[in-house]
Amino acid sequence: MTAAGIKPAATWTSLGGRRRPPGTWAIVRTALLIGSGLMSVTPIIWIGIGSFKTLTQLLGQPLSLPTSLSFANYTGGFEQFDFLTYFRNSLIVTVCATLLTLALSATAGYALAKYNFRGRNVLFIVVLATIMIPVQVILVPIYQVVVDLHLVNSLLGLIIPPAATPTGVFLMRQYFLSVPDELIEAARIDGSGEFRTFIRVVLPNGKPALIVLAIISVGWRWNDFIWPLIVAQSPNVYTLPVALGLLSGEQAVPYNFILAMVFASMIPVLIMFLFLQRHIVRGIAMTGLK
Amino acid sequence: MQGLTAPSAIPGRRQARRPGRPPRARLAPYLFILPNLVAVGLFSIWPMLNGVRESFYSLVEGQSSSFNGLSNYHALVTDAEFWSAVRNTLEFVVGYVGCTLVLATALALLLNAQRWARGLFRASVYVPVLISPVVVGILWNWLLQPNSGVIDALLAKLGLGQPGWLVEPHLAMLAVIFVELWATLGFYALIILGGLQAIDPSLFEAARVDGASEWRQIRKITLPSLRPTLLIVLILSTITGFQAFEFLWTLTGGGPVGATTLIIQYIYDHSFVPPINFGLATAASVLLFLVLLVLTLVNFVIGRRRGAA
Repeated sequence: MTAAGIKPAATWTSLGGRRRPPGTWAIVRTALLIGSGLMSVTPIIWIGIGSFKTLTQLLGQPLSLPTSLSFANYTGGFEQFDFLTYFRNSLIVTVCATLLTLALSATAGYALAKYNFRGRNVLFIVVLATIMIPVQVILVPIYQVVVDLHLVNSLLGLIIPPAATPTGVFLMRQYFLSVPDELIEAARIDGSGEFRTFIRVVLPNGKPALIVLAIISVGWRWNDFIWPLIVAQSPNVYTLPVALGLLSGEQAVPYNFILAMVFASMIPVLIMFLFLQRHIVRGIAMTGLK
Repeated sequence: MQGLTAPSAIPGRRQARRPGRPPRARLAPYLFILPNLVAVGLFSIWPMLNGVRESFYSLVEGQSSSFNGLSNYHALVTDAEFWSAVRNTLEFVVGYVGCTLVLATALALLLNAQRWARGLFRASVYVPVLISPVVVGILWNWLLQPNSGVIDALLAKLGLGQPGWLVEPHLAMLAVIFVELWATLGFYALIILGGLQAIDPSLFEAARVDGASEWRQIRKITLPSLRPTLLIVLILSTITGFQAFEFLWTLTGGGPVGATTLIIQYIYDHSFVPPINFGLATAASVLLFLVLLVLTLVNFVIGRRRGAA
């Protein structure tokens, strides 16, 4: 603890710098936290370990560790089930839908934050109100819209409908409110058009909120299930969750292959979390606590 | 859109529009907001209105044919499976939300008090939140398998037998609640942790000077100051509970014998799994929407009151 040397000495009004040996409470607390941490992480590690076991081992000895580090389950699963196609579809859908979400949310958020126009409040409320309409309660009618637009069984059908999210508009609007008006006025006085001002001045200033929104959106789209399950009807447009969900229900599919594909599908999100943890925590503060 | 004729001038707000601005600039905000409005209208508002309309029609092959008044609703409330799904949903929501409030608060208090390795603990309890619900279902289905599952193997080692988590209806509901808690608790704990860190530290200083015990501080300062945050967690987790479907699909498939079939699965099954009955699905959707509407409005009012305070 290097900080101890810098801390001010304890006075009668402050508890700073006072060092005590860890009490019972501190030990119990740390033990409880270690317990919760293990509870959260062990099942995921266990599936990683399980993905290296053979099928007989998985069925016969649930507590055993793999005997050898063989990637047979991965190569077998990837060859038999077109894992790479599903992975590619998931990647395309996630990236495109996120870019679309950023574009739609930033433009609408900017209009609502920085312009005074007729109907602004009504439009803001209309957009926010759609937070009450999750896809689960409009499954049939939204499916009909997608049928009418000929988007069924296409990646576009997976990308476009979920992209307009009220959370995104709200987040961007709140953030743009804090961008000073003077900055925008200055660009206008320099003769910059409205759209150019938005691209050159406003967007760069909204970067922190855009990052948070991008992370949230990537998490949503990578993990989406019910919507792709309805729209994607042939294996060449399945995303990973759809493929895994359908395959895991089939008796004929060897479980060792499922485990390998499941573990592989988690890796991108876990890596993202490892690198962007700070932003994710901030994202919760920005969206969870309005 | 009626929005276009609504009065725009809000007293006390600065008018950004000036007489000198060219008409193109006056059009700009509408052009900026248009793409989002088109998307929201097409994929959210229109389907919602259409869904309400269709709940009063008999639907064949997804095409509405004839107006039939409330007969979809009548068929719904006389369907035993619907009431079974409602009962399961309420059981699930009450169990899940209750446990979430208690456990997430406890976890947040522990994290807040911790100094050593706090970041590591915070990160590890958040990891399950990142996993897709489908994968959560597959993972726990594997762990809870009767013979090859690791949980039963461990219990057997301890001489506690094999309870058959996903086979026995009452245990299945418990298992389902547990799995959803496992998958989401970290998210709520972090929201509450944010609320804890926003409490004015001088309150605790004062209490400590007065010699209040740690537990007394929690009861008299922490929990009252945390009330708005806990209300938000209550509403968010209730909405999440009502929408539960994806992890159940791969965990139990709604079984055993419908014991974990919740309302969304009821809607999904009647919409997309033969024998299809759109009437029941649309009527159930409208009722669920009304429940979510009330919850969201309550959330909004609380948020308003909190913002004003």
